[in-house]
Amino acid sequence: MGEHTALAAVSVLAVIVLEHRVLRTGVFRSIPYWITLGICVAFMVPVNGWLTKLSAPIVLYAPAARTGWRFPLDIPVEDFAFGFSLLTLVVMSWMRAGASEPHEDRP
Amino acid sequence: MNRFEYLILMGLCVALTIPLQPLFGARICRRPRRLARTLLPVVAVFYLWDALAIARGHWWFDRRYATGVELPLGVPIEELVFFIVIPLCALLTFEAVRNLLAGTTPVQLHRARRRRARTAHDAGHPGARVDG
Repeated sequence: MGEHTALAAVSVLAVIVLEHRVLRTGVFRSIPYWITLGICVAFMVPVNGWLTKLSAPIVLYAPAARTGWRFPLDIPVEDFAFGFSLLTLVVMSWMRAGASEPHEDRP
Repeated sequence: MNRFEYLILMGLCVALTIPLQPLFGARICRRPRRLARTLLPVVAVFYLWDALAIARGHWWFDRRYATGVELPLGVPIEELVFFIVIPLCALLTFEAVRNLLAGTTPVQLHRARRRRARTAHDAGHPGARVDG
């Protein structure tokens, strides 16, 4: 447990607070969002797994900065928090950008 | 493999999701302004997070599998590509799922049009029973 783990956890909280306090896009009530999250996490496992596999890692992590838990395929658990934040922020931002354009359909 | 391994992986992600545009009508590229307004803040936030993590030594990259091209703040070019490619994949998936649930993929629209045409044809047919 270290800075890396803390930042990953803070990013999840920050995204949730941003949605509830600022953007209010309704992303967490959107069924397409949850299905998208499921699909993306399913594809994240092989992609992230390839980047972080311990046999020939492309990305290497400082042990002191994180929990050291890796699952599945040597993927650091922190990456799933990171992935949730990135994917959720993207969909929220997309919904927000669409809502403020008069000719765009709202999700 | 080689120092393009990371970039090749990103290319595969794009190759896999680009067909969602024609197949499911996930036409995010037809809305370039909306796409730019979506991506810019997200890429900026994650780029800075990446730069901070690299500077603090949270993670680093094996030079054998990356090009070694560095952008400002010591961020490898592969990471910027990641922060653009992954959001694009996510948005293509999101729009594809939305269209599928709303019945507005090209195939669904085509079937609906054919159904409507058949109904209209049957209604106008001399043998068909017309109410009124």
